[in-house]
Amino acid sequence: MKKALALVLALMMMLGCVSFASAEDKIKLVVWSFTNELQGMIEKYYLPNHPELEIEFQIYPTDGNAYTTKVDNLLGANATSEEAPDIFTLEAAFVKHYVEMDWTGDLKSIGFTDDELSVAFPVMAQIGQNSAGVQKGLSWQSTPGVLMYRASLAEKYLGVTSPEEMQAKVADWDAFLETAEELKEKSEGACKMVIGSGDIWNAYQYQRSEPWVVDGKLVIDDELLDFEELCKTLEQDDLTHKGSAWSEVWFAGMRGELETLCYFLPTWGLHYTLKPNCVAGWDAENPDSEENIKNATENGTYGDWRITDGPVAYSWGGTWMGINAAKAAQADDAKKAAMHDLIKFFTLDDDFLTQYAADSGDFVGSAKAVETILANGGTPNPFLGGQDHYAIFASAAALANGSLMSEYDDTINSIWSDFVTTPYTKGEKDLDTCLEEFKAEVASRIAGITVE
Amino acid sequence: MQTQPAVKRKGKSVSYSRYGYFFIAPFFITFLIFGLYPILFTFKTSITDAVGWEKVLNNSIIGFENFHQLFDSNSLVFGKFWGALWNTVIIWFFNFVPQLGLALILASWFTDTHLHLKMQGFFKVTIFMPNIITAATIGMLFMSFFAFPIGPVNTFVQTSGISNMPVEYFRSVAWSRGLISFIQWWMWCGNTMIVMIAGISGINPSLFEAALVDGCTSRQIFWKITLPLIKPILVYNLTTSLVGGLTMFDIPHMMTQGNPNETTNTVARFIYLQGFTGSRNFNMASAASVVLFGIIIIGSLLIRYLLNDHDPKPAKGGK
Repeated sequence: MKKALALVLALMMMLGCVSFASAEDKIKLVVWSFTNELQGMIEKYYLPNHPELEIEFQIYPTDGNAYTTKVDNLLGANATSEEAPDIFTLEAAFVKHYVEMDWTGDLKSIGFTDDELSVAFPVMAQIGQNSAGVQKGLSWQSTPGVLMYRASLAEKYLGVTSPEEMQAKVADWDAFLETAEELKEKSEGACKMVIGSGDIWNAYQYQRSEPWVVDGKLVIDDELLDFEELCKTLEQDDLTHKGSAWSEVWFAGMRGELETLCYFLPTWGLHYTLKPNCVAGWDAENPDSEENIKNATENGTYGDWRITDGPVAYSWGGTWMGINAAKAAQADDAKKAAMHDLIKFFTLDDDFLTQYAADSGDFVGSAKAVETILANGGTPNPFLGGQDHYAIFASAAALANGSLMSEYDDTINSIWSDFVTTPYTKGEKDLDTCLEEFKAEVASRIAGITVE
Repeated sequence: MQTQPAVKRKGKSVSYSRYGYFFIAPFFITFLIFGLYPILFTFKTSITDAVGWEKVLNNSIIGFENFHQLFDSNSLVFGKFWGALWNTVIIWFFNFVPQLGLALILASWFTDTHLHLKMQGFFKVTIFMPNIITAATIGMLFMSFFAFPIGPVNTFVQTSGISNMPVEYFRSVAWSRGLISFIQWWMWCGNTMIVMIAGISGINPSLFEAALVDGCTSRQIFWKITLPLIKPILVYNLTTSLVGGLTMFDIPHMMTQGNPNETTNTVARFIYLQGFTGSRNFNMASAASVVLFGIIIIGSLLIRYLLNDHDPKPAKGGK
């Protein structure tokens, strides 16, 4: 008797659950990312106005490829499972890999139109396309890179007093090298142009006319050979501090402990790298407190930085939102519309992006929103001595060539640095040997690529 | 096993022996899923064309082509694989020889009743300490220690007048390999020492006493009594060290990334680069893992053979 009663009760509970779930009638989306940035944005700006949505967030770190491994496992084997993402974010290091795959869906399949897509910055939109031109990813940031330099050093050694004059000094790489030589002479070797020759790579790679891989063939652009010669001259003539990016000496230069004129950094580098490292003991809790700024100005380099376009327009970083093709194909119209609306809101919505730029200082991915911000008086930045970073970033973002990224960039860039740039500029090997070894390594690491 | 006579249950006896299986079951289940299955899967993948995540499950068997490439001197991976093995062996050798030597000396000092060292606990803890820190952390620590051109070591070298130019340690083959060997040595010496102490403590003290009565010196006791009797422990130590040394990954990966010019690229790093960068050549990574597996087995057997069979009088019952 008791057993029968228990069974009846259990059945009732199960039915109850089922009926409650269907009564709720929420659209459920699974969103994956590698930081909590997007989750914070969605919770703050989007969910309050969209009660019909239920979003499940999953965050896996990119360290040790944890995120990509997880994405690969699910999209490869269980793309339609409950836990598989509907929307997932892609970092610059692997965005090209995923947009080339069939796993990542065409954004038009959930309702995006050409008209909507046209407001994105071309460079970021291009990176989010596969080689056939299908738009699969959209970025809410745009990450144009510029040249950041110290105004006091430029004036002291080069007599440069404005960003325009500085731009003339670094208009192309020949001018850049001449300025580096001049700097060495005038400062008697105390002040160096950059921390290390590798520091200019992120900019210089945009000097190429073709990406690393074209139609399955490895391309070594002639510009890359010029890059090697430039790096070698910088290294051998003692025009750099011979350090590498993200090392102690790199940060010491930002703090002004040793004299370094230029850094090549993108939008995020200004706010998240240069600014917090402009003085020892930067107060990360209260960055805008009077005390902190006073300390950073007196003991560090706060207010001494200026930005200018530099020799080439480039882009470095970014986060794209992509969709799971298998789940999108199964979704009903309501869900497709919800996905469409969410991605559109964060990557293309003018009002939101204007608001978000004001709140966070980030440089956003929609050209139209950037125009609005500039028309509203721009963003004079005390860290840059009142210079408006948005104006400079906007011109760099409009010029950078987004067709220079390819699927295996991450791997090939690191091989190029380890097998060519470092041994050649340090005089350990000659260029031909380096290039042969580079090609052999690329061929052994990337199957199915033609190396000549 | 004993049934109580008062309870009559149709001759059923309660056996507790099966509970033993329940207790060991979690390990075996975990091992089967996370140990044996991946190993078998690696063996299977090594004979397929699994390049890229898409083909991890949907691949076709192509036979021993991957192994052929690893052993064919004209292939792209030949030089890299065997070069990596050579690097690994060199780094392992310069880590293991001093490690074993020092661990033996320390262990015999700590167990020497003659010496009667004070503060043994403190010394043992201090020597063992590096072993508790994660290898990756130590790799990062040494990377910043020896950073160029500004870093603690370079600053010290310049201010103390040893050299007026900063040294780029990680562009020097000897320094890079030497530092990795040193870290491995420094980290694992304490561990080896503890195992050795355990081994020496297991020797019957009457043997030492008899030797002392017969007028042996400390050196004679060490060579004639301690060393032969801890041979099984030595075999254990050598084998585990060989396995650990040949699969070395984290320190070279964190500290030198295989630089300068691939001279600190280890086999495990070769496998990582094949499997998890570029086009994700899981087939080649698996084949290399299988070859490494074979090399380790051969090495271990060799150690057993050299230490047990070559000796005219094998230490009996020392297992």
